[in-house]
Amino acid sequence: MNRLTGFPYGIAALCILALALASGVWLAAQPIGNSTANLTMWTFANTHYDAYKAAVPSFEKAHPGVRVDVQLVSGTAVTSRLQAAFWADLDVPDLVEVEISSAASFFRGPLEHVGFLDLTDRIHRAGLWDGMVQARFAPYTTRGRIFGLPHDVHPVQLAYRRDIVEGLGIDVSKIETWADFVAAGRRVTIPNKRYMLEMPDTDASRLEMCLFQRGGGYFDQEGRCRFDDEVGVQTMLWYVPLVAGPRRIGGDLGGGQILTKAIEDGYLLFLAAPDWRTRSFEMDVPRVSGKMALMPLPAVKRGGPRTSTWGGTMLGITKRSPHPDLAWEFARHLYLNPAELAERFRGTNIIPALRSAWRQPAFSEPRPYWSNQRLGDSYALLAPQTPYQYASPFISTAKGKLSEALVACVQRYRAEGDAGFEPFVRRQMGMSAGELRRLMSRSPFL
Amino acid sequence: MSAPRGIRADGWFRLQHRAAPYLFVAPFVLLFLTFGLWPIVKSLTLSMYATSGPKDQVFVGAANFRFLLRDPDFRIAVANTALFAFWSVFVQLPLALGLALLLSRRWLRGREFLRLVFFSPNLLGQVFVGVLFSVLFVPQYGLLNNALHGLTEPLHRWLSFIPVVELDTKWLANPALVMPALVLTSLWMYVGFNMIYFLAALQAVDQDLYEAATVDGANGFQQFLAVTLPGIRPVAVFVLITSTIGSFQLFELPYIMLGNGSGPNKAGLTIVMYLYQMGFVTGDLGYASAVGWTLALGLLVISLAQMRITGAFRSGAE
Repeated sequence: MNRLTGFPYGIAALCILALALASGVWLAAQPIGNSTANLTMWTFANTHYDAYKAAVPSFEKAHPGVRVDVQLVSGTAVTSRLQAAFWADLDVPDLVEVEISSAASFFRGPLEHVGFLDLTDRIHRAGLWDGMVQARFAPYTTRGRIFGLPHDVHPVQLAYRRDIVEGLGIDVSKIETWADFVAAGRRVTIPNKRYMLEMPDTDASRLEMCLFQRGGGYFDQEGRCRFDDEVGVQTMLWYVPLVAGPRRIGGDLGGGQILTKAIEDGYLLFLAAPDWRTRSFEMDVPRVSGKMALMPLPAVKRGGPRTSTWGGTMLGITKRSPHPDLAWEFARHLYLNPAELAERFRGTNIIPALRSAWRQPAFSEPRPYWSNQRLGDSYALLAPQTPYQYASPFISTAKGKLSEALVACVQRYRAEGDAGFEPFVRRQMGMSAGELRRLMSRSPFL
Repeated sequence: MSAPRGIRADGWFRLQHRAAPYLFVAPFVLLFLTFGLWPIVKSLTLSMYATSGPKDQVFVGAANFRFLLRDPDFRIAVANTALFAFWSVFVQLPLALGLALLLSRRWLRGREFLRLVFFSPNLLGQVFVGVLFSVLFVPQYGLLNNALHGLTEPLHRWLSFIPVVELDTKWLANPALVMPALVLTSLWMYVGFNMIYFLAALQAVDQDLYEAATVDGANGFQQFLAVTLPGIRPVAVFVLITSTIGSFQLFELPYIMLGNGSGPNKAGLTIVMYLYQMGFVTGDLGYASAVGWTLALGLLVISLAQMRITGAFRSGAE
C-alpha cells in the first residue's frame, strides 16, 4: 500500500495507467474472429442483395459444405475499402460487385497488380463471349483482358407521363427521331413550369448517354481519350441548345424526393429510363402508377439505333480469394441461371447480359405501372443495340472534364447564343480533352 | 543481509519519479510516431514518386511539384479555397464578434438561451449539416428558394431594382452560386462556435478599463477600439489563424453537398478535395502527397504572415 501511495502522481493516475495497460493487453490478446463462410461477396445495391440472398440456398444445396455470405456494402465504401484492401494486401471478399463508373479505377497499374482475377479465358471457355451482350464486356476490359462479368445491359428508353403527354396531343408512336422529339418538345415546353425532357445542364450524365448513342465515348478501344472528336463536338452542339437559351426543352431539378415531386406535378414529361431506373420510378413515384409508359429512345437518324446505355455493374473475383473456382461457380449461379435471372428481373426490372434469359416468360409480363406494357420485352428488343462504352482508369476524371466543357458551353450559349458557338465548342472540348490527356500522360503505368 | 527498508523505498520512489513521466507520455509518443510522424515522412518521400497505389511507384523527383504549378485544376482548387477562406474570415469572424458583443450585454434577456441556440449548429457533424443544406437548397421545392421567392416577388413589385429569386434557382448546380451556398452553410455552422471564443475573451477584459474610458469621455465605438479589441487580441489572433487553417482544410461540406465531382465547373473544388481525388480516385498517391505538402507549406506561410500582421510575435516578445 505504501508503494502505491508512493506513486508520484497519486493512486488515480496509477489506476488510469493500469487500466490503459490492462485493456490494451486484453484487446491485443483477443483472437480475430474467423468467418465460417467459404465465400464472401460484397454488393452495393439493395435489390441485388435481396436477390442474391434468395439465390444462396440453392447454391449451398448444390455444393454441400459450402457457406456463402453475401454482404451489403455502400457503393462508395466498396470502392474505397476494396481499393485500400488491394493496396494493403488485406483480406478482401471473394466476389465483389462494382459500379461501372468506378470499375476501371481498379485497372490502373500493371496488369499483374490488378486486384481482380483475369476472367478472359474463363469467359471464352464457358461460351459467355457469344452468349452475353458483347458490348457489356467493354467497360470491364483493360489492355485486352476482361476482369468482370457484366451484371446487366442497361439499355435506355424514355419514360413518360402518358396521361399528360396524350392530353397534350403528342403521339409517341410518330416520334422516330430526336428531330421529331425536339419539335414536339418545343410546342409543349413552358419555361419554369413544364419541360419536355429531364436534361441536366451542369453534369454530363445524359450528354454521355447521347454521346454513346451516336457512337462516341470518352475513350477508344485502346483507352485513348476521344470525347473531343467530331462525334463529341456534334453531340455537344446538339445538346446545349436543348438545355439553354430561349428554345430549350430540357429541365432538371436533381434527384431524390424532388424528382418524385417533379414527375408527380408533370414538371418533367419525359425522363431517360435505363431498365434499372424503371424500378426506381415504381418505388419512388407510386402515385403515377398506370400513368407512366415507355418508348424507345428517338434515333439520331431515321433507322438508327433507338437506345443507348446508362449505368452498369460488374462482378469480379478477387485474386486473393482462396477459392477462385468456387467463386466462379457462384458467379455463374448468380449471372447465368435463366430461371433465377427471370425471378430477379421481376424484382429489379434489370435485363441480364445473358441473351438466352430474355426468353423466360417473366420478361413478357405486362406491368400495370407502365400502362400494362411488356417491360422486359421492350428492353430486350433494344438490348442488342446497346452501344459500347470503353473505359480507362481515368474515367472519373474524363466525366468531370466533359461536365466542365458542358458547363462552359452552356454559359457561352446563354450569353451569346448561336453566334460563334461552334468554334467555341470545338475549342472548349479540345481544351478539356487536352487537360485529360496531359493527366493521363503522367501515368507511367498505362 | 538486505538493504534497510527506508533506502529500498527511497530507491523505488526515485525510479518511479523518473519513469512515470515517460510512461505517461509513451502512449501518445508511440501513437504520434506511428500515425503522425511516420506518415508525414512517408508522404514527403511519396511526393517524389508517380504512383498507382503503394505497390507501383516510379521516382520522378520534383516532377509532381512542377506539374502542380501548371495544373489548371489545382489552380481552380487554390482559388476556390482562398475565396472560401476570405469569406469565412471576413464575414464569419466579424459576425461572431458582433454576436459575442451582443450576447455579453447584461441587459439582454435570455442571452444564455441565445448562446446555446447560436452554438448548437456546431454540435451537428459537417456531414449532417451538408445533407441538411442540400435539402434546403433544392430548386423549385426547397425551403430557401421558396422563402426568397416569397420575399422578393412582392418587393420587386414595389421596388423594381430588387431582382426576383426564381423558384428553380440552382444553388448547387450553378457555378456562380456554389461558393455562396458553401459560405452560407459554413456561416450557419461556425459563427456560433467562434462566438464562444470571443465571449470568453470579452469576459477577461478588465472592466476597470471601460470605467476609466467612460470617465475619459470615450463613446461606445471608441471603447471598442481602444479597450475591447486590444483586450481580446490574443484570442482574436488564435481564432483568425484556426479559422483560416480550417477554411483551407475544407472537405466534408463540398463533398457531401456537391459529390466527388465537386460541383459544376469544379466550382466547389477545394485543395483537400483535389488531394482526395488525386489520391483515392485517380490513385496517384505521390501527386496527392505533393498537393498535401504544398497546402501545408502554404498554410505555414499564411499563418506566419497573419501572426506578423496582427502583432502576435510582438506580444509574445513582450
